[in-house]
Amino acid sequence: MATVEIADVRKSYGSVDVIHGISMAIEDGEFVILVGPSGCGKSTLLRMIAGLEEISGGRISIGDRVVNNLPPKDRDIAMVFQNYALYPQMTVAQNLGFSLEMAGLKKPQIRTKVEETAEILGLTPLLSRKPAQLSGGQRQRVAMGRAIVRDPAVFLFDEPLSNLDANLRVQMRAEIKALHRRLGSTIVYVTHDQIEAMTMADRIVVLRAGIIEQMGTPLELYDRPENMFVARFLGSPSMNFLKGTLAEGEEPALVLPGGDRIVLASRPEARGEIVLGVRPQEVTIDPVRGTPARIVVTEPTGADTHIVARVGDTDVTCVVQGRVEEGPDDIIPLSFAVPSAHYFDPETEQRIDAAGSVLELAARSQRAVQ
Amino acid sequence: MTAVTTTRPADEIVPAKRRDPLLIALWITLVVIALIWIAPFVFIFFTSLKSNAEVMSSSAFAPPASVHWPNFEGAWRNGDFGRTLINSTIISFVKVPLGLLISAMAAYALARIRLRWNKALVLFVLFGTMIPFQVMLAPLFTLVNGLGLIDTYVGIILPYLAFGVPYQVFILQGFFRAVPKELSEAALIDGASHITVFRRIFLPISLPVLAALLILDFVNTWNEFAMALVILQDSAMWTLPLGLMSFQGQFSSDYGQLNAAIVMTVLPAMIVYLIFQRYFVSGLTSGALKG
Repeated sequence: MATVEIADVRKSYGSVDVIHGISMAIEDGEFVILVGPSGCGKSTLLRMIAGLEEISGGRISIGDRVVNNLPPKDRDIAMVFQNYALYPQMTVAQNLGFSLEMAGLKKPQIRTKVEETAEILGLTPLLSRKPAQLSGGQRQRVAMGRAIVRDPAVFLFDEPLSNLDANLRVQMRAEIKALHRRLGSTIVYVTHDQIEAMTMADRIVVLRAGIIEQMGTPLELYDRPENMFVARFLGSPSMNFLKGTLAEGEEPALVLPGGDRIVLASRPEARGEIVLGVRPQEVTIDPVRGTPARIVVTEPTGADTHIVARVGDTDVTCVVQGRVEEGPDDIIPLSFAVPSAHYFDPETEQRIDAAGSVLELAARSQRAVQ
Repeated sequence: MTAVTTTRPADEIVPAKRRDPLLIALWITLVVIALIWIAPFVFIFFTSLKSNAEVMSSSAFAPPASVHWPNFEGAWRNGDFGRTLINSTIISFVKVPLGLLISAMAAYALARIRLRWNKALVLFVLFGTMIPFQVMLAPLFTLVNGLGLIDTYVGIILPYLAFGVPYQVFILQGFFRAVPKELSEAALIDGASHITVFRRIFLPISLPVLAALLILDFVNTWNEFAMALVILQDSAMWTLPLGLMSFQGQFSSDYGQLNAAIVMTVLPAMIVYLIFQRYFVSGLTSGALKG
């Protein structure tokens, strides 16, 4: 177990910079998830921590050692790869024991440790099989076992679940989380799946184009995204954005380019054009304060129904509980007047605070703690 | 969920038997080509078992009326097989494994160790495969002679290595490049050195391609004639193909013995082929990654 400190780390391939000076501190035992779209540098950063990529600038420390120039084997880390990377000609037991053998442990010691690990992961009946004879989920477990058996200071996961089918992914997500609780080890985990990030992480780091957009606990990021990118990235379905001009007058409202008027629950600290962001779950059908919207499509998911409707020239998604009677081309009144609405600057895409929203947030996080 | 069982009459699930005409054409082509390739060997084998009188009197592809074993005995004696067989064996058994080992190590380095000049090195190696060795025969003789290695095993093995290695490096580095890089990275994180990764991971998973190269290289080395002719002047150092040549001059009238000698020359190469062909099975890497 150890802390990981990343200080102004940069990576460039020739003249192309892929990581532009990232700094963060990962605490002992923390589960940190790096998340972001393809090509944002999250895997590169992980591989630099592992020692598989050279560090072009900055410093990475694991525990109290600067590891910039240490080879991977001396960094006291273990890595689980997306494609598992099991040694095909070795049995599960040999796969698990390989690192111990490399470390020069005696055969009986290796056997004990391998058996312990296999027990934790339920691999005991499979120890004499080869990777080709295992299912996807079993291979995934062996790959994790290979990391656990070494008892490393830091675990690195590189999109470990993306090759599994949906059911197995949910199951393995829970297993990894349970494993983290059990081992209490530091984990750095890369994924592009925001649900994995939300459900497993102690802390999420959202990356885009080689810089950190925001980091914080999953709910901090969900409740208070610093910019439109983070707002769009977390949450499913994605947050709705409506661009318009703030109306002058008593009641806070947004006027869309087509002339539609949207009632707001709070007044943003800005003038002129702004972007309103409301999560689909918070959009309501409200005949009093609603703005008329033409339904494009309805998607029943069983418990909820997702309605995609057009307000002005923008498609918005609304999640309502239960079923809806209306169908395409019907007009429904959609209300966006919720205190938790987000406001962004259309130019910089940065967050604009709303008057009173800070208090509201404090109250909400208070509730979350309880 | 309730299980729904549907019973079907047996005749309903019999698939229609229709063969793809293209497949049939391919099969016929295959059989014809096989016959063309097998014909000379049948001819050689039959002739090797005929007495000289029968060779003259019977059709070339007719089986021998009575088996004439003394051909083999005579060929062994007259062709000095005792000596040429040992020479060929020593040269092939040293050169082939040694060449493969050197090639595999070089290919690993080219494929997996990041060097500044990797691409240039691969091109350089590739260049080695492009020089026809006939062009090199005269300079090669001068060089080997200058080193005082004419009529020695080392003198012939070194040029064999020089001409065999580039081709193998080229094939193997392509194969090693296709091995997922995570596999070697996982091993490096697990604490393995490059030598260990090479020996414990890459060699086992490249057995099929190594076996293929071994067979090809063994047959090539075993049958090599021109370079051996230039470098091995002393008949005591001759390899089997050189022995055959002298045979043809001395006993050109005795076709039975000549063909017996050919059979004996070809046989070891065939045995090696049969031993290693079972490693041609593909799919040894399956299961390493997602599947």
